[in-house]
Amino acid sequence: MIQANNITHYYNNDLALENINLEINKGEFIAIIGESGSGKSTLLSILSTLLSPTAGKMAFDNLNYKDIKNIDTFRQKNIGFIFQFHYLINYLDVKDNLKIANEKATNQEIIDILELLDIKELLNRYPNEISGGQRQRVAIARALINNPTVIFADEPTGNLDSKNSIKVFELFKKLSQNGTTVIVATHDLTLAKEANRIYEVKDGQL
Amino acid sequence: MLNNAIKALKANTLKTTLIYLSLIFSIVSIFLISAISSGIINMYSSMLKSDGDIIITQAKISDTFFSNVDIQLIQKINKLNDVKETSAMIVGASPVEALPIVAIYGVTPNRFKNYRLILNGYPKQNEALVGEAIYSNLKNKKSISIGNKEFKVSGVFRSDIGFENGSVVLNINQAGKIFNKSASMIMVNSNLNSNIEDILKDIKNLDANIDAKSTENFVDNYNQFKIIKTSSNVISLIAFCMGLLGIVSIMSITINQRKSEFGIKRALGIPMKKIVFSIMFESFILGFLSFLSAFFISELALFFIKNSSHLQGYVNGEITSSLALIIFVTSISMALIGSIIPALNAAHTDPVELIQGNKI
Repeated sequence: MIQANNITHYYNNDLALENINLEINKGEFIAIIGESGSGKSTLLSILSTLLSPTAGKMAFDNLNYKDIKNIDTFRQKNIGFIFQFHYLINYLDVKDNLKIANEKATNQEIIDILELLDIKELLNRYPNEISGGQRQRVAIARALINNPTVIFADEPTGNLDSKNSIKVFELFKKLSQNGTTVIVATHDLTLAKEANRIYEVKDGQL
Repeated sequence: MLNNAIKALKANTLKTTLIYLSLIFSIVSIFLISAISSGIINMYSSMLKSDGDIIITQAKISDTFFSNVDIQLIQKINKLNDVKETSAMIVGASPVEALPIVAIYGVTPNRFKNYRLILNGYPKQNEALVGEAIYSNLKNKKSISIGNKEFKVSGVFRSDIGFENGSVVLNINQAGKIFNKSASMIMVNSNLNSNIEDILKDIKNLDANIDAKSTENFVDNYNQFKIIKTSSNVISLIAFCMGLLGIVSIMSITINQRKSEFGIKRALGIPMKKIVFSIMFESFILGFLSFLSAFFISELALFFIKNSSHLQGYVNGEITSSLALIIFVTSISMALIGSIIPALNAAHTDPVELIQGNKI
């Protein structure tokens, strides 16, 4: 589904990624591990269309990223993002935070997603009224509200305790079993072991 | 969308208040300067238009204060075709009691009817008719001194033209002695459906030292009006720019603080134009609310200005519907233009920064 061919990326003159080749299939749960500065976040940015590589070819279902006419619509339809920090909008309640990602989502659809994540009772609560673990689960709900084909998560458990971290990875596993492709960048090898495949990025190489 | 915009504005209370105040100060300034300047112009032009279709002043003299026209011309003008009535006026100024400057109008008796009596009668020789704003300021309400000459107060008048209430009316011959001139201007009233251009031509043929203009033309070309209008426009423009800078700077700070919000929206595939639109919509709400607040503040300020005895009715302003509409458009433009740059910056937030170490 996602093919990366000979991907190389530079930040100014600094090499971040070198000659990366990768193929990810639908419904796979992929973990990308590596130390800070190894290039895993850059790889995730490139795989998720947020960053254009300096060289190489990226494709989604054989569609070259460069040929995507409307990248915003493409992202809305196909990609869900989860970041290390939740980035919820503080002045909106949970329901409206989810509506930001999909304004056409019905109340029932929102409730269903929240129920899946076991946070249905948070529907009308504001981010500053809920715990860190709950916020991250709301961020996951926001990533799922569009029913994306692939979810990219960058250190999604970076701000969570071990109990909540395990819950998040169990959820990713469940999502991949239901057909959603999940690509997670993490430095936690124990959690990464939950994935179908683990890739390690070291000094810009896979 | 409205709901989210209001929530966003409420979430940044301090900065929203600062933008709101910045807009209000600018809009009130524009309202007041425009209303007062057009009020002054309207008052004076109403006075000129009240008694004639044609105004005659001294040729090559651009200010009625310095104009001197021979009052005897009235008799010749009255004989011209289609002339219905002719009056003359001297425009002067003098201190009266503690008031340093009071307008003195020397007028022909047929102009007295313009001054609506509220007490006693019109002035005879050595008498003066006093505007109600002046009368209320007089310590000695029986007589006044103008140019070292005592005049008995014959009566008190009220005028719809605000600054006339702060003036004194004399018989023109006595004002002529004080200001050493025959008449500042002669005003000609023509018959209905007469050709003004023909009358103007006939009047100009009477004396080479006079300049005759239709009242409309005179008002349009009056230098003082041009000065007032230009000053008003310049001050309004400065107020607009100050408001604009206020919005741009505070909005930029607000947008900078909300960068993660725009970064996540970009990552979620929200189009740039939608982000720009949402920010400009917030500005529109602020511009609209500021306009309403500024409108009521300005009306209140104008009410106090109009009724201030200290100003003797000389400063008057009215917010007409056309002025309100122009300032509404100006207010909204100010809010929208001021938010364009911050909105574009917000829309260009790079979501990669969200991934690469929470730099936003």
